[in-house]
Amino acid sequence: MTHLTPIDYLLMLVYFAVVLSVGWMLRRSTKTSTDFFLSGRSIPSWVAGLAFISANLGAQEVIGMGASGAKYGIATSHFYWIGAIPAMVFVGLFMMPFYYGSRARSVPEYLKLRYDEKTRTLNAVSFAVMTIMSSGISMYAMGKLFNLLLGWSFDLSMLVAAVIVLAYIFLGGLTSAIYNEVIQFFLIVFGFAPLVFLGLRAAGGWSGLQVKLAEVSVQRGFQPGAMTHAWRYMGDPSQNPIGVEWFGLVMGLGFVLSFGYWCTDFLVVQRAMASESMAAARRTPLIAALPKVLFPFLVILPGMIALGVDWHSVGAGAQHAVSAANLGIIPPKIDAATGGPLIDQAGHVVMDYDLSVPMMLIRFFPSGMLGLGLTALLASFMSGMAGNVTAFNTVWTYDIYQSHIKKGASDEHYLWMGRAATVFGIALSIAAAYVAASFNNIMDLLQLVFAFVNAPLFATFALGMFWKRTTGHGAFIGLISGTLAAAIHHGISLAAGSVPGVKGGYFGTHIVYRSELGQTFWTAIAAWVTCFVVTIIVSLMTRPRPEQELVGLVYSMTPKPVETVQAWYEKPAVLAVIVLTVTLALNIIFF
Amino acid sequence: MSTAARFDIRIPIGTLFSLLGVILAIYGVATRTDIGLYGRSENIVINLWWGLIMIVFGAGMLYFGLRAHKRPLHSAAGEATEAREHRLGLERE
Repeated sequence: MTHLTPIDYLLMLVYFAVVLSVGWMLRRSTKTSTDFFLSGRSIPSWVAGLAFISANLGAQEVIGMGASGAKYGIATSHFYWIGAIPAMVFVGLFMMPFYYGSRARSVPEYLKLRYDEKTRTLNAVSFAVMTIMSSGISMYAMGKLFNLLLGWSFDLSMLVAAVIVLAYIFLGGLTSAIYNEVIQFFLIVFGFAPLVFLGLRAAGGWSGLQVKLAEVSVQRGFQPGAMTHAWRYMGDPSQNPIGVEWFGLVMGLGFVLSFGYWCTDFLVVQRAMASESMAAARRTPLIAALPKVLFPFLVILPGMIALGVDWHSVGAGAQHAVSAANLGIIPPKIDAATGGPLIDQAGHVVMDYDLSVPMMLIRFFPSGMLGLGLTALLASFMSGMAGNVTAFNTVWTYDIYQSHIKKGASDEHYLWMGRAATVFGIALSIAAAYVAASFNNIMDLLQLVFAFVNAPLFATFALGMFWKRTTGHGAFIGLISGTLAAAIHHGISLAAGSVPGVKGGYFGTHIVYRSELGQTFWTAIAAWVTCFVVTIIVSLMTRPRPEQELVGLVYSMTPKPVETVQAWYEKPAVLAVIVLTVTLALNIIFF
Repeated sequence: MSTAARFDIRIPIGTLFSLLGVILAIYGVATRTDIGLYGRSENIVINLWWGLIMIVFGAGMLYFGLRAHKRPLHSAAGEATEAREHRLGLERE
């Protein structure tokens, strides 16, 4: 266990003080429900853009991506370069005109305008449950991590973080959350950039790291370059650590899961909806994509470096036992029964990959920088929680409360309800955190939930926005069938080495995948295709909506967004080309 | 339409990073000869150097934030969008 010095605590206190004073100073400018839920639609695009990536930069990203970096190597960057980036470009160029232009206040509300009440409610309820769940998982991960690293009380650290988040959202609403997300974005950059710098220096640069990862790669039964090449070994699932072939990766992760998340998830889309104008809203995801392209170096690389360095050179300062079971500086999971390393059925030691990034902080940062690094980590947990809570209180108030429980109340009433929803949203998250305590791999679980609920969603939105014939009945039945298809596919398939149950196979094991991610990607593909086909069939059998009702909601019925006078660097198409060119170049460099 | 002034976000960012930078840099100066402390960071007095970089970043943010603070706070585009929504009664639906 690591002991922090007063200087580390001082840095954390400064951060907390600034976060709380931001909320306090914003309380006066939060007077209407639009102020509270949509920041009065007055956020400049660079601020909305940084909040757009930051809202997603919770535990899942920082800890999960580091863990995946240690497990899969540079191929983890597919989550960015084939996953997030193309989807972010698409939502900015093609979907934002409908979200922002329809004047919907939330993503479910767009579904209400385009389709009908039942489709909106289905989406709103599943989204509300999911946000609370991810908020809970994030809080649980935080409590557990800080307990393990610093010996902080699990309950107390969770409670303190929850109270701070509650305070600043309660006071300043979405603006407060967005401001704090931007602060947190810079904290992550400043906390992790020196970690990568020092780590690469210790590992002998990229070439030194390649040599060390080649050893790890061979030990795991792959070609030496399998962990340092993103595409070269993607031909066959048995040749790469992710355990999936290029088609499942590109379709499942790149197309279905990523477009499902970045294009339809209100948590991120809300940040763009808060922009000051249509042009700013379209720019938001594109501005977000620029730093996002480089994020693999900040969050994935530390996980890879953790495999290639050791504790020895730290000398007497090392507070962590140098154990034979370590992989680089990553410790094994501890068997609660014996107190020794956890051994799986095949006799291998089970590594605790989620500790890769925290161990890197402890290994490379002296007191002072360690405080900064841990503050960045704390900030990412808190802003992840805040992002979920602000999305939840909006969907609850507009899409559930206003449309089903109390219609036509005063704006003051809905503002009050938004604040109340913030309080019980956080209370429910804490409850969810204790439930989450029984699951282990944060990221695999989140991906599983995405596959069931989010995967079919993109088919519903794409058809709704680009095919005017799609009907509400079609969308609703399509969504249900897509989610069912996901559950069925998951139920008849299993990843090699998994036990039937929560990992799948509950209807018998008929398909075996190399890895859980392979299974997840194909589950998503099954859900998307089913939803797409069923929506089309049912739409053709039901009565179409009159065309004049679809103006502003469907591509063919909406006038093209007029490009007002903008500098070249403000044009969405120019930004999109820059982002995609950089992404392509990185894919080639790390091929 | 919200009328209350909202402060520029660069001000709290600038404040935070300047403060963190100053604390780190001072601590770095005080501990710069402590070999036991900086062995792990490749013998680089990372607290001092990184603290200085954060001070530069924080000061830059403060400079631009305070400069913008003297101008009208709401952008024309934002005002137009808000006014349109207000006309449409979206705030009190």
